[in-house]
Amino acid sequence: MRSIWAVATNTIKQALRMKVAAVFIVLLFVLLPVMGFSMTGDGTLKGRLQTFVSYGLSLTNLLLCLLTIIITIYTLTSDIQQRQIFTVITKPIRRYQLLVGKLLGVVLLNTALLALFSVIIYTITIYIPKFSDADLDDLTQVNNEFFTARAALVPPEVDVTKEVLDIYERLEREGQLSPDVQRSKFIEELTKRKQLEKRAAVVGQQLVWEFNNVKVVDRKEPLFVRFKYDVSMSPSDAVVYSRWEIGDSRQYPADVDYFPRDDPIRTFRELEFSADLIAEDGYLAIKFLNLPSNGTTVMFPPDGLEVLYKADTFGANFIRVVLLILFRLIFLASLSLLASTFLSFPVAILLSLCVLVTAIFSGFCLESFDYLGENLSWVYSYTVRPIISLLPQFDKFSPSKYLVPGRLLSWPLLAKVAVLMICIKSFLLLLLALLIFRFREIAKIII
Amino acid sequence: MEYAVETFSLTKIFSDWWGRDKVYAVDDLNLQVHYNEVFGLLGPNGSGKTTTLKLLLGLLYPTKGKAAVLGGDGSDPKISSRIGFLPEESYLYRYLNARETLDFYGRIFGLPPKVRKLRIEALLDMVGLKAVANRPVGTFSKGMARRIGLAQALINDPELLILDEPTTGLDPIGTRQIKDLILELAKRGKTILLCSHLLADVEDVCDRISILYGGKIQAEGRVRELLLQSDKMQITTDTLSDNAVERIKKLIKDEHADCEVISPMEKLETFFIKTVADAQQQELTTSGAVSTTGISDFLVAKSAKENILDKLVSAPAPGHTPPKSGKTEQVVPVETTEQKPDDRLLRELTKPAKPEQPKPVSRERKIKTQPVKSEVPKPEQIRKNILDRLTDGSSPRNDDSEQTDKSENKNED
Repeated sequence: MRSIWAVATNTIKQALRMKVAAVFIVLLFVLLPVMGFSMTGDGTLKGRLQTFVSYGLSLTNLLLCLLTIIITIYTLTSDIQQRQIFTVITKPIRRYQLLVGKLLGVVLLNTALLALFSVIIYTITIYIPKFSDADLDDLTQVNNEFFTARAALVPPEVDVTKEVLDIYERLEREGQLSPDVQRSKFIEELTKRKQLEKRAAVVGQQLVWEFNNVKVVDRKEPLFVRFKYDVSMSPSDAVVYSRWEIGDSRQYPADVDYFPRDDPIRTFRELEFSADLIAEDGYLAIKFLNLPSNGTTVMFPPDGLEVLYKADTFGANFIRVVLLILFRLIFLASLSLLASTFLSFPVAILLSLCVLVTAIFSGFCLESFDYLGENLSWVYSYTVRPIISLLPQFDKFSPSKYLVPGRLLSWPLLAKVAVLMICIKSFLLLLLALLIFRFREIAKIII
Repeated sequence: MEYAVETFSLTKIFSDWWGRDKVYAVDDLNLQVHYNEVFGLLGPNGSGKTTTLKLLLGLLYPTKGKAAVLGGDGSDPKISSRIGFLPEESYLYRYLNARETLDFYGRIFGLPPKVRKLRIEALLDMVGLKAVANRPVGTFSKGMARRIGLAQALINDPELLILDEPTTGLDPIGTRQIKDLILELAKRGKTILLCSHLLADVEDVCDRISILYGGKIQAEGRVRELLLQSDKMQITTDTLSDNAVERIKKLIKDEHADCEVISPMEKLETFFIKTVADAQQQELTTSGAVSTTGISDFLVAKSAKENILDKLVSAPAPGHTPPKSGKTEQVVPVETTEQKPDDRLLRELTKPAKPEQPKPVSRERKIKTQPVKSEVPKPEQIRKNILDRLTDGSSPRNDDSEQTDKSENKNED
């Protein structure tokens, strides 16, 4: 343990004294406050806060990711190439202790830096409203929609399978199907269309979403419907006029509130309503009426509507988001360590950066590989796909995804990410690194 | 456990990228190094010396055969905690200073902080780098780095010391010191395996040698036995008159032997050391390593034989006052090439030591000199020493960092 600690502190010293870390630290120290004052977002206080938190955290995240990769790879490959490792590994230290020590050093340094910069970002965020000339409405909005951690109720996808099959059978019976259309393709296409129909309202039509078992912690806190419109034909002012009806409409007279609204299209908007509108048994209905003055069909995209309620404080949520970043860094450190056990500095950096980039765009990567792999069928699904899905998906759990809309990142979700990213992926990488390092000849220099 | 180091048909083949055998770096090597022996591995460049050492230490894996170090595997922590290793160049962390470097290695050995601190100071003293202990080792010259490398190899008070070209990059004085150190360590029961192609070094210190070529042993044996010309004799006398020489020649001729009469040459090494010692007396400063005599006392003696070395201990250079504290740093001219033990530190050491407690050396009758070094000189003492030096022209010494700065400024090197 002592030797692990000796290596860890030496690694930290190395990172600090070789000025690798200094560049990043100075950059962040300068950029973060500047961003705090210069970023205005869409001009509103909320926009300003969102922009700052989103850009600030993303920048910190990106720079620390790069720093982790560089430090981890540098510390091991330079030891091997400049051969300091000769004098270290011939001392009573096991090879795994050396690797674990290096990893520990990098993780500790990262934790410290991450803590430092999170505190800076958090402090600036908290103080932005105090130094802005926002009015009370703005402050309330910011408190409700930004300085909070809200959980979401998402309406389930409407099940259209039966409907689709009925149509298919009917068409088949009537002989209207062209023989070169595959059944599965046709059904898939039909399902998509049907589902879109369920989310679309023609002029004058009403859409209804129903939720059961809505449990609210605090009845005094308001709830929010967060929605986004798509339209089939853009109105000249790009605004949709609507009437929303929220509450328990099962009996008469219905216990509902009406909200006439005009909202721009293709932007997320929020509608605030009181928790009293939820029935005792947890039932809640939300209705949207497409007013005739719109003259167009209004559609909600697949993720276009959800109900948000406050579940935790902004501070606690912020800490969890920061932890999420830390998990990433640990993963990257393990990955870089693995790369540097058998690659030289530039190659290991290249490999790690590639993985980082695919991780950042993992959604896109997976999709495009799936698309390309369709024709390769099983060859693809048994070779490339498992490897790609082993890659971490940074975009799936990005910090701004939670903090910008004030969304809850719950402990269970965080734990799930931790298990997946640290206990499984990082551990596997580290294990592989230990194996390679255990059996390689140290004195053989890798080019 | 009969041998400190033993190899059994040790073979190392470096193969190319396709796995085809390319180079037999070490070929079927059977090597035995006894305990408490200075063993030299000689050979031209590329003869497999360094590869052999790396195989012993587990930095490389043998293709065939096996190596046993101290009765076990050299990469096993239990064994490696008893080994000191100095690689062919001192590969050091450039950003650490000398003290931190030693501290880092001490911590890997798991030495408790107190012991670590004492040993570090003692070693810095011994290798003459105390004055520059706070400078990053990246700024050190090759010789200074070598000294730190040596100090790091000794920090665990090893039983077996493996030195790869220990004297490369060192000035002749440094070389002399390392050779003395090796002899002194051997005297204390350590086993030393060194490899070198500097034949003079090997000749001076080694008990036994092996000459490697092409990864194979070409010759092996005791240095004396290998070099002794048993069919020749040498007589050294004071200068004689021509007449006497003629008579001797005649006498020899009667014995049917040939003879040649010349004046013996002084060894360049001896001459060089003398010159530098003179320069030191003229108080020239250096920012480099200081020449020291001495060995750190924690390097425990296993066998406490006192011997000639102690007699040979340097007398203070003529005409200067011995410093008050034990850490002398002047080079002492030595007339003979025989081992000159470093006195002060060494002597303390030889007592079965609690490493932390340097004992004043007083028991040596024959030693005329040197007050014994106390572990960490008290500040007043140091200041006094500095004053002494500045005023009465004793050799330059740097005792603390203030002093370092001064001497660095003056420095011409």
